[in-house]
Amino acid sequence: MAARYLARRLVSAGVTILMIVLLNFVLFRMMPGSPERILLGRIPGVTQEVREATKREWGLDKPLFPDQFVAYLSATARGDLGFSYANRGRTVTEVLGQKLGPTLLLFGLGEVIAILLGIALGAYSGWKRGGIIDHVGNGLSLILYATPYFLLGMGLLLLFATGLGWFPTFGMVTAGRAYDGPLDQLADIGAHLALPLATVSLGLLGQYAILMRSSVIETLGEDYVTTARAKGLPEGRILQRHALPNALLPTVTLIAINLGYVVAGAITVEVVFNWPGLGTLTVDALASRDYPILQGVFLLLSVSIVLGNLLADLVYGLLDPRVRT
Amino acid sequence: MTAPVLPFAAGSVARSTGGRLDLVRQVLQRSNGLVGVVILAAFTVLALVPELFVGPLQTAVTATGPRLGPPSAEFPFGTDELGRSVLNLTVHATRISMVIGLLATIITVGIGAVVGIVSGYVGGRFDAATMRVADFFLVIPTFVLAIILTAIIRDILGTGSKEIAGIRLSLLVIVVVIGITSWSSTARIIRSQTLSLRERTFVDRARVIGASGGHIMRRHILPNVMNLIVANTVLTFAGAILTETTLSFVGLGDPFQPSWGQLLEAARSVGAPGLGAWWYFVPSGAGVVLVVFAFTLLGNALDEVLNPRRRARS
Repeated sequence: MAARYLARRLVSAGVTILMIVLLNFVLFRMMPGSPERILLGRIPGVTQEVREATKREWGLDKPLFPDQFVAYLSATARGDLGFSYANRGRTVTEVLGQKLGPTLLLFGLGEVIAILLGIALGAYSGWKRGGIIDHVGNGLSLILYATPYFLLGMGLLLLFATGLGWFPTFGMVTAGRAYDGPLDQLADIGAHLALPLATVSLGLLGQYAILMRSSVIETLGEDYVTTARAKGLPEGRILQRHALPNALLPTVTLIAINLGYVVAGAITVEVVFNWPGLGTLTVDALASRDYPILQGVFLLLSVSIVLGNLLADLVYGLLDPRVRT
Repeated sequence: MTAPVLPFAAGSVARSTGGRLDLVRQVLQRSNGLVGVVILAAFTVLALVPELFVGPLQTAVTATGPRLGPPSAEFPFGTDELGRSVLNLTVHATRISMVIGLLATIITVGIGAVVGIVSGYVGGRFDAATMRVADFFLVIPTFVLAIILTAIIRDILGTGSKEIAGIRLSLLVIVVVIGITSWSSTARIIRSQTLSLRERTFVDRARVIGASGGHIMRRHILPNVMNLIVANTVLTFAGAILTETTLSFVGLGDPFQPSWGQLLEAARSVGAPGLGAWWYFVPSGAGVVLVVFAFTLLGNALDEVLNPRRRARS
């Protein structure tokens, strides 16, 4: 049974990734301009031989389906995503690889902080329903949910960098600064990271708290909680041992499902702070219509999200035997 | 519990016009519903007749103020880098943001409702295939897809300064793209409701007397998922305004018909937060937050009225 569950999840993730590549292929062929010129990064002065060679390599002289799609698929699998328009002569993979680190740092940390704080806040307000923390927290969560991430970032930037001068206003490091040692460098990155990190965490926190709160409220109405109450268990223990573990699972799944929606909206935070990651890259690529880079970002984010969801599904299956059917 | 639990919105609430009025009354009786409706009514007035409050939209030519001037008696919200009144721009942007949001919502809910009803009613392979596609759209980062689609479609159409019904083509592209990329959650919700309706006696009865599938979907399923569609429309509207704002912020807005997102983008690109020019982006930012907040409150109020499970607990 467990093997079948695993196999079904794997096949489903594989199909989704295949659909992503197919969509990317359709987008690539929709673009204005001839495909071999797009693949070569629109470099001027390309000889006829090079164009012909590219055409042959990608099967552009053969029918769209299956030949061209198969060529595209195998190129994608090899990590060959073509050349960037804006960065002449550099491959998309190279450019993406360079920007991945800062984004992972910012959103990895931001997600962890938001999940921990959001779940704690949501669990507490759901438990003490109608209390002061619940009212204030719920109102705050709704307002945070209504605020675009970048707007929150602009507000924090105005208050804490421009107004109070506590943090630097942009970038990941102070330009042209010489460091006394690795600790000094780390402190500089930390100071630059503080505001974008606060923005990402606050932006995500609201919706995680809302999700966890309703999940806790739902669980507290279940029969096994009533049973635990009837047994005379103390409230704190009911929450800890009976309600929380069961409320946590759907919340974590919903967080995983919402990842695509959240991450994509949150990349705009990078633009506000000029953080040198995928978000800033996306907006720059959009301004210069650097389609190969845009498609690369889309592919990278989609595949990461599908794999993240797969991981969440597998963990869920491990923890809750009811879903392994 | 004596009565069997019916799936919500399939029950007796709001079958007739009187029922629908009853729904409005119940929503307005809740504090979150009332606050939401009042805020939205205020912004709707601004969107309908911005000229009445601040005169025609100022341009670089008609601008009279100082550059990036702070709030003063003449310019209550200060001025932008061209000397235009930020109050004037923000009030006019209300119309663009709300109209784009409304059109995008209509397309999103339209696609979602049709796909959901047909898929749920027809079932079988068709249902499996469409839900596969819907799940695909739920998982992928649709915002990045929307960026690419908007850019490509604009490049193909060569939008320029073309207008349809007073709205620039570049903005209509955004409307369509939001619709294409965000229908899936509506479709999923409507489909699950349709699945349960399909098994109900009145649908069987209609089928037995020889009603066609199209007739049953239009006359029997649609009226019974209408409340669900209304509740979903409210939440979709909030999402559409957020998406439009974010798309404009990354540079896909139209400077000639500025929305709130477009103003925020302009403020960021002249470095308003770094220069301490809070007046440039706080008004349009407040507009976005208030409207989305109001829609969320209204959506919650509707959900509480329509969903008996939530009503029992709150």
